[in-house]
Amino acid sequence: MFKLEPRLRGLTAMDYRGSQQFDKFMLWIDAVGGFWVCLGDKVTLGQPTACGTVDVPILADISSRHARIRRDGEGYLIEAIREVQVDGLEVEKMAALSDGSRITLGEGVRLAFRRPHALSATARLDFASHHRTQPSADAVLLMADSCVLGPKSSSHVVCREWDEEVILYRHDEQLYCRTKAALTIDGVRYQGRGRITVNSHIEGEGFSLSLEGIRHS
Amino acid sequence: MQEQVTAVEPNGNKSMEFSVDEPGDSPSPGRPAAKFVYPGGSRPLSGYTIKRGIGHGGFGEIYYALSDAGKEVALKLIRRNLDVELRGIRHCLNLKHPNLLDLYDIRQDDEGDTWVVMEYISEGCLADALADYPNGMPADRALAWFHGIAAGVAHLHDRGIVHRDLKPGNIFSDDGLVKVGDYGLSKFVSCSRRSGQTESVGTVHYMAPEVANGRYGKEIDIYALGIVLYEMLTGRVPFEGESVGEVLMKHLTAKPDVSGLAEPYRSVIARALEKDPAQRFRTVSEMLAALPQPAHTPPGAARLPSGTHRAAGGAGAAGAAGGAGAVPPPFPEGIIEAEAVDEEPILKAVCETWSKLCTAWNDANLPAPVKILLLVAVIVVLLVNAGVLVPLTVVLVIMYAGYRLVRAMVLPQHRHKFCSHRADVAPTPSAEPPQAVQPQAAPRQSPFPPRYDPKLAITMPGRRGRRHREQATPALVVKPPRERFTELIRSLLAGALVAIAMCVVLVLVNSYCFSFPVRPDQYAWLVLVSIAGTWAVLIPSKFWEGTRGEVILRRFIQMVIGMGLGAVAFATSALLMVHPPADGGYGNDFHLLPRAPAGFYDAYGHPMLLAYLACFGSLYFLMRWWRQADPLRGTRLSLWSVFLTVVVAAIVGGFWSFPQSWLMTVAVAISASVQIASPWLPPRKRFRRNNV
Repeated sequence: MFKLEPRLRGLTAMDYRGSQQFDKFMLWIDAVGGFWVCLGDKVTLGQPTACGTVDVPILADISSRHARIRRDGEGYLIEAIREVQVDGLEVEKMAALSDGSRITLGEGVRLAFRRPHALSATARLDFASHHRTQPSADAVLLMADSCVLGPKSSSHVVCREWDEEVILYRHDEQLYCRTKAALTIDGVRYQGRGRITVNSHIEGEGFSLSLEGIRHS
Repeated sequence: MQEQVTAVEPNGNKSMEFSVDEPGDSPSPGRPAAKFVYPGGSRPLSGYTIKRGIGHGGFGEIYYALSDAGKEVALKLIRRNLDVELRGIRHCLNLKHPNLLDLYDIRQDDEGDTWVVMEYISEGCLADALADYPNGMPADRALAWFHGIAAGVAHLHDRGIVHRDLKPGNIFSDDGLVKVGDYGLSKFVSCSRRSGQTESVGTVHYMAPEVANGRYGKEIDIYALGIVLYEMLTGRVPFEGESVGEVLMKHLTAKPDVSGLAEPYRSVIARALEKDPAQRFRTVSEMLAALPQPAHTPPGAARLPSGTHRAAGGAGAAGAAGGAGAVPPPFPEGIIEAEAVDEEPILKAVCETWSKLCTAWNDANLPAPVKILLLVAVIVVLLVNAGVLVPLTVVLVIMYAGYRLVRAMVLPQHRHKFCSHRADVAPTPSAEPPQAVQPQAAPRQSPFPPRYDPKLAITMPGRRGRRHREQATPALVVKPPRERFTELIRSLLAGALVAIAMCVVLVLVNSYCFSFPVRPDQYAWLVLVSIAGTWAVLIPSKFWEGTRGEVILRRFIQMVIGMGLGAVAFATSALLMVHPPADGGYGNDFHLLPRAPAGFYDAYGHPMLLAYLACFGSLYFLMRWWRQADPLRGTRLSLWSVFLTVVVAAIVGGFWSFPQSWLMTVAVAISASVQIASPWLPPRKRFRRNNV
């Protein structure tokens, strides 16, 4: 009578909630930093609001819906709702972003747009000014299908002390974590890869990290 | 002011455990990246939720946590509740100073562990900033840091507290404001008797000699300040060593080398690093008074000039390197290079022109074939005019040598005068126009992380290269023999192939410009000798790779090898019945000796064994061939080396009346083949392993 969609088979209620409700989470990497990860193709940048509709809330003197960044296939576009500059030029309506683009929101929020990995559409927004997200994160990741954490400079999150890369990726609307060696996800040991939720704690050889779903608060 | 925080009474039979941290490492993110007891999301201490681990301090783990209301804090877990240590922190709990990291509270969790709740700083520490300046910061930036550190330490001393663990990993910058952290914890010494196990605490690089005797006056902070200042100015600590014992021994006995520093830094650091505590500055303010004020700094709270900000995340997660927007050092007495080289104007001009030429050549966006054609054309022109150029060069070189000799005798004091001149060309890795500096009005951040500008690296070629060479050398030394052998075989094969190709090119050049057809047997001779010569360079160089060795000894060994090569060349020519075309083909040959030495040439002017031995022996003695095979050389194929080889070959040929063009051709073939065939590490890849 009830037929579950294939992607939902074998999930607990918790997982289901985890998979559905969150389109963004905090990625806390021990000894490295905290990262604001957005899964959606369209993210709004703006001042934090009470209802939490902003995808990337930045504590700054900007509008609550200041700009929108859209992942369009392989490329990124920024749509200016309020005053936005890219590489010093005022954005009328839309502008394309490429690795190294410098975004200015309003008066003083300066972001650097990076796409460090050639094979992944995932992008990173670094804060070049002193503004931070609310709650605070070191950088914002606009995660497409995969997100590479590792020692190389082409990683989305550079973890210099690590020996191996750890890759978070999406498959059938699920989040997975993959690495070369064994890893422990929420106390369960996996070989090579395992499914994670947005509230998982992952430990492996020489690294540990936690995810924390960001609720609309 | 008497020290109040007494940590551990010195006791004869206590053994102390120290660790040697690499000064370049940022200690804040602990090196074993993982292994934190509490995962993100746990709440061992009521009221705070741990988000992630930050690093491992001397006593335990440090976490980033949020209070229930959302306040960002750093939590330091102290596993062993030693009254002494806790008393130390309690003393500091209510200290208020803009240059001190705030301590909020000391709490105990349900399990009896003690937590120190303190200010969280998302920016990097001084160790990270130092990593951006491997050769030392600009003086002004170092001063700005130093004034902030000193203000914080002075406040501690004023309250009778000795920091004891001043080091770059404990000094932070928050929005340009210098903050000294980790005070009040007596972490210098941990006694094995008490802890029962070895614990890695502190680093010995900043430790005053009297600490070994258990004396902890505030003089140890002055000493550490001196070391930190030294490190900021030069990029390295004064006492380095492989082991804890070696560093300790240097602290106790060695004199710091301050000769590379300008006044007043030299005398200030020398005094701060006196072995006898009584000889050092008595107070921090006395030390501060001896140093100039940093420019662009609002009085009072010592802020750094803009551009100190790294993207947060300790280990450079966000990837934005700091260290931009530097102010050009306003003090004429900036830092000078460690080795002030006597620079003679003519040589300097020539070197500068040459390096400009090299830059232009490297920057010129020419495809490789065009470059090679150009190169060949230049060689052709040189060879055609060799008859004029070689004597001219020799005369110029002799005149220049005489001039240098006279100059050295006339200007014995030159070197000293020179030191102060170098100040304004001190190596500032971030020589940016100073427009970004408006500490008060404008927001104090560098707009965007600066891109790496290759031109900046070229402005200071010598020193940087040398230091990099020193840093990269260990990697070569530890190269396993097997890998070395494989590399050698590979380069031998490549060398043979390249030598064959080079010979074709050179023969074509020769026959073009001398309209002299080279016979196949002569070509065969050329190829064989070139291959043998290439191998004669590659093999010993492989053995010498990564070590320094005595130059004269190496030259001698090379000379012997070169003579062997000469014998091979003679044997080959005898076997193939081929002789270098000495008979009249080269009327314009330049001879330094009035006539050829006896026994060198037969009646037809063909060189005999002795001539070969002399020529190749001196060619191999005069050139430092191993540098052309060094994996750490500047570029893979250095035209300068090839050119130098040609000149040396011309001189040698001229001296021994050997058929010059013939010797030059062989030398060029060897030089080019060696450089193309031997492995080369591009500068970018040299330090990937060593965290730089």
